[in-house]
Amino acid sequence: MSKPLKDHICEEQLFSSIYRKYSKDLHNFLYYKFGSQLNPQDKMQEAFVKLWENCAKVPQNKAKSFLFTTANNLMLNEFAHQKVVLRHHQTKPKHSTNINPEFLLQEKEYRAKLENAIANLTEAQRVAFLMNRVEGKRFKEIAALLDISTKAVEKRIYGALKKLRKDIDEL
Amino acid sequence: MNREDLIQKWLDHNLNPQELEAFKQLEDYNDLIQLDMHLKGFKAKTVHTEDTLETIWSSINSTSKKSNTLLSTLSKIAAVLVICFGLYYYTTTLDTTVHTIASQHETILLPDASEVELNAMSTISFNTSSWNDSRSVTLNGEAFFRVAKGETFDVSTNIGNVTVLGTQFNVKHRGNYFEVTCYEGKVRVKTTTKETILLAGDTFLIIDGKYIATEKENLSAPSWLNNKSIFKSIPYREVVAEFERQYNVSIEFENIDDSQSFTGTFTHNNIETALKSITLPLQLKYSKTDNIIRLKRD
Repeated sequence: MSKPLKDHICEEQLFSSIYRKYSKDLHNFLYYKFGSQLNPQDKMQEAFVKLWENCAKVPQNKAKSFLFTTANNLMLNEFAHQKVVLRHHQTKPKHSTNINPEFLLQEKEYRAKLENAIANLTEAQRVAFLMNRVEGKRFKEIAALLDISTKAVEKRIYGALKKLRKDIDEL
Repeated sequence: MNREDLIQKWLDHNLNPQELEAFKQLEDYNDLIQLDMHLKGFKAKTVHTEDTLETIWSSINSTSKKSNTLLSTLSKIAAVLVICFGLYYYTTTLDTTVHTIASQHETILLPDASEVELNAMSTISFNTSSWNDSRSVTLNGEAFFRVAKGETFDVSTNIGNVTVLGTQFNVKHRGNYFEVTCYEGKVRVKTTTKETILLAGDTFLIIDGKYIATEKENLSAPSWLNNKSIFKSIPYREVVAEFERQYNVSIEFENIDDSQSFTGTFTHNNIETALKSITLPLQLKYSKTDNIIRLKRD
């Protein structure tokens, strides 16, 4: 049985457990949405500080929404709607058999196309899609984090995939 | 199961083994896998949960401290403002004091355009901010007043107070010597022993607490304003003291009765002439070294 939900989160233990549960998701959400130039980790931490400051007003079951909304607003305050470009970190596993210059060049081109294509996704698509593909989250989990229906997540992700493939083929 | 459903299930990480096989048979399987592989490169930086949690706790603590320091800075600012305001209030309500040194004359304009001529080595103080309520000055030394018409004007000294309406008068207060001469209008003089009203030309003189009757003054302004000191039956020591003030010298004398009366004049412009003026009538000789003058009987 899960413990009854508290109507406030002004307990260090409870706050810490919320932090452990959501900090990573919140950070990734901010990163996929806004990119790295606005320092998602800072905003994530700031949102948690704000959560603590308002701990008496926020019931436990609203903590996640509070965090995501607050962090999103913190970002929007600074965000001047520049185009978000996520950098490819080139951490892909090496195919030791295929290392020839031509292949490397192809890889590089592919990555550039991918970066471009991802930048062209809508914010909503990008967030849901990368949470799914990169973080390996299931539709249900993403739906819970973003407070939207599973169907909507499915649509966003599938739409994103189609758009990406189309863009990559065209380029 | 059609292609779209398979891809959807793949996306949702929800393929069962048979479906996976079917998915692998799709013509774009390789494309999808290549795409998926590359997408991993966009992984967000890993957050070290425990480390960042610690920074959050420390920043929470420091922000709560910050509000304390904010309060204390505010109270510091408030304290400084209070001190500044206090100083401002104190200095603006503080008496204005003018002081003259030896051989210096000074003209002072009071807030209501009354004029004060201050003789050498004299101090006058008055309060500008309360001037409208009471025109009063404190004097130590000698000064000539040209008072603008208005409410009563008070001059207080240690020996007595002088109260006037609009008028011109001279007040001289040196040690135990207190002299008031009225040149225009009416002046009331009040000391512990005596109270008189002076009309133009009248002089009120007290030396060592004794009232001394004097002749009518027929000058229109005190002589010192014209750089002269005139004495009529005044003890010699007062004459010498006035001389010292006007020329910034010190006078020593031997075997001379300094209480004898002196009648005469000395100028403030020429020390030789002035010395002769105060010595010849009493048949005294003088010698001068630097700022010290010795008087001797012939």
